[in-house]
Amino acid sequence: MTTTSTVKNGAGRATARRALLSRWSDPDDTTLAVILLAPAAILLSVMIVYPVSRLIYTSFLDLSLTSGLPARFAGLANFRQMPDDPVFWQATWNTVLITLITVPGSLLVGFALALLANLPFQVKWPVRLSLLIPWALPLSFAGLIFGWFFHSEYGVVNDVLNRIGLPSVIWFNSPRLAFAAICLAIIWKASSFMAMIILAGLQTIPRSLYEAADVDGAGRVRQFFEITLPLLKPTIVVALIFRTITALQTFDIPYMMTGGGPGTETATLAMYIHQNTVSFLDLGYGSALAVVMFGLSMLVTALYLRMIRGNGAAS
Amino acid sequence: MTSGRISKMAGLLLGCAAFAFATGASAETTLKVFVTSQGQPAIWRTLLDQYEARNPGIKVSIELGGTTSDMQAQYLNTVLTAKDSSLDVLMLDVIRPAQFAAAGWTSPIASDMSSYLRAYAEANTVDGKVVALPAFADSMFLYYRKDLLDKYGLQPPKTWDELADAAKKVADGEKNPNLQGLSFQGKAIEGAVCTFLVPYWSQGKVVTKDGKLDFDREAATKSLALWKGFADSGVAKKNIAEVATDDTRKEFQAGNVLFAVNWGYAWAMSQGAESAVVGKVGVARLPAIKGGEQATCLGGWEWGVSAFSKNQEEAKKLVAYLSSPEVSKYMAINGSLLPTYGNLYKDADVTKAVPWFADAQPIVETAKPRPVTPRYNEVSEAIRTTVNAVLAGATTPADGAAQIEARLKRIIR
Repeated sequence: MTTTSTVKNGAGRATARRALLSRWSDPDDTTLAVILLAPAAILLSVMIVYPVSRLIYTSFLDLSLTSGLPARFAGLANFRQMPDDPVFWQATWNTVLITLITVPGSLLVGFALALLANLPFQVKWPVRLSLLIPWALPLSFAGLIFGWFFHSEYGVVNDVLNRIGLPSVIWFNSPRLAFAAICLAIIWKASSFMAMIILAGLQTIPRSLYEAADVDGAGRVRQFFEITLPLLKPTIVVALIFRTITALQTFDIPYMMTGGGPGTETATLAMYIHQNTVSFLDLGYGSALAVVMFGLSMLVTALYLRMIRGNGAAS
Repeated sequence: MTSGRISKMAGLLLGCAAFAFATGASAETTLKVFVTSQGQPAIWRTLLDQYEARNPGIKVSIELGGTTSDMQAQYLNTVLTAKDSSLDVLMLDVIRPAQFAAAGWTSPIASDMSSYLRAYAEANTVDGKVVALPAFADSMFLYYRKDLLDKYGLQPPKTWDELADAAKKVADGEKNPNLQGLSFQGKAIEGAVCTFLVPYWSQGKVVTKDGKLDFDREAATKSLALWKGFADSGVAKKNIAEVATDDTRKEFQAGNVLFAVNWGYAWAMSQGAESAVVGKVGVARLPAIKGGEQATCLGGWEWGVSAFSKNQEEAKKLVAYLSSPEVSKYMAINGSLLPTYGNLYKDADVTKAVPWFADAQPIVETAKPRPVTPRYNEVSEAIRTTVNAVLAGATTPADGAAQIEARLKRIIR
């Protein structure tokens, strides 16, 4: 009896092994899908899913590294702290304002640059290169450079103002002027990115459409509004999504230019999160703030996606 | 020989080599010391070379980081939160040991602190345990142009009012638009906390008493108004909110400043090769508010042992060496870093190299420490951003004082 069952089990194992080998060497569609998606899924889980879940978990803890106490579950305490925190409101408002100013701003400037770059130049590469450089420059370098531009004593901006007869302005003394300087730097940096995306879109519009419009007697302006803009709409929406999410996360440029000053007038939400986690070591509160920013980004993305879907349904 | 024998011999040789290599490598310990780039790393390097010579088998490498105290703190916060074992010894600003000990990032060191200056014995002892040993002492001084004061028959001022008068007299006489009356730090750096505290302490006030908040809003308003007054009256330049510690040092060194509030390191630089004011510089105590005491801010840096270091014993021995009287004397003579032992201030070799150290002792001994709390970073942020806002004109001194009080109330219960 034992011998027969052993033989039977041995034969069963061999068959299973053969089946597995054939699955791997000649996979069916489901197996192939799993194999090909596995690396991306693992990468996503490790780099995104795990850190974000950990972040959300920490936001419910009372965890401050300087207290010397172990982490304690605190429910929504960290979130309840936010409405009473004046710096939180200031930072969030500054972030929203930066988004509202720099997204349209960089779109307009980027669009103009793209139209300029799309003109028939004999030599194309200098134009493309000058479009690329602001985007390629690291954000913190851009912040440092613009910080020096606007320095009241050693800065280029005041030097130019003096040469045309205007008095020097102490840019970083006034919250409004400091904010304007920051927005200028961000628009400069972001418009090159927008320009590149829009340029790519412009290049896909066939020349024949414009030629037909010329034949029909449409002027340049009409051509722009009736041909260029409608065909560029999907490209513009993609560019806007990228730009808006990045604007909500603005950190480098204000951090390098003003450090949030004067006082806390130019602090952004990302800077406040950084300060709470890295400087104050209050991981619970910092995580809660990060969750709020995450929520804000998701909301904005959902709105944009609804806009696209709305457009798709309409057309 | 047969091939079998050859391969056996080769195997034996390789084995010996591997064994020798392994034991050789394990006999040598490498310690990594984290030094702020503003802390004279070149001179510490020569001392570390001496230590290596005396202790064969120990190699010490320096890791530089943090141009400002705050940058350094952010870096260390990140590294130590991750429990990284790459750093063995840390050079910490005097305000950090309390926070680092509370977070469990430093190992306690068994040491007798009685021979050090009392202020540093206290700063480095948390809950009865010694968590760091002093590297060098420091405090804020009033640097002044001896030549200009002599020209107008003036003495170094003892009160801020006297300073304002002296500055005005010299400005009227020199008629030099590039000459600043007073330079101090208005940028939102760690030093700005001292900017606020010096006149505040001068009025006999404290910030914390027995761990509880003991804030005087009126004195705070007066302190902020003092500095804002200097900027408004033209004694200090209008964009003083942009000035950091090294800016003050550079401008004084270039001969464009009459009075400067700065730390001890500025002396050596002002007598160095790049300075335009060699031989023209005097150092004195910071002035007082009228009717108050002359007060100054305690500075200085400490050596701590990382709790995550894999070489605890060796690191502690290194720290003991680096905070020894011999090293303190060497740094005083060669780096103009104030000694941490009281008896070194009047030492003949030291006073020959740095004459004013003899007068510096009472100043350092009566310097006041900034609030000692594990949540110091939040306290510092509250005070320095408000100082910056007031000097930039974005907030009035009264509102600034109220703001500091409100924020400190939430941090120090």
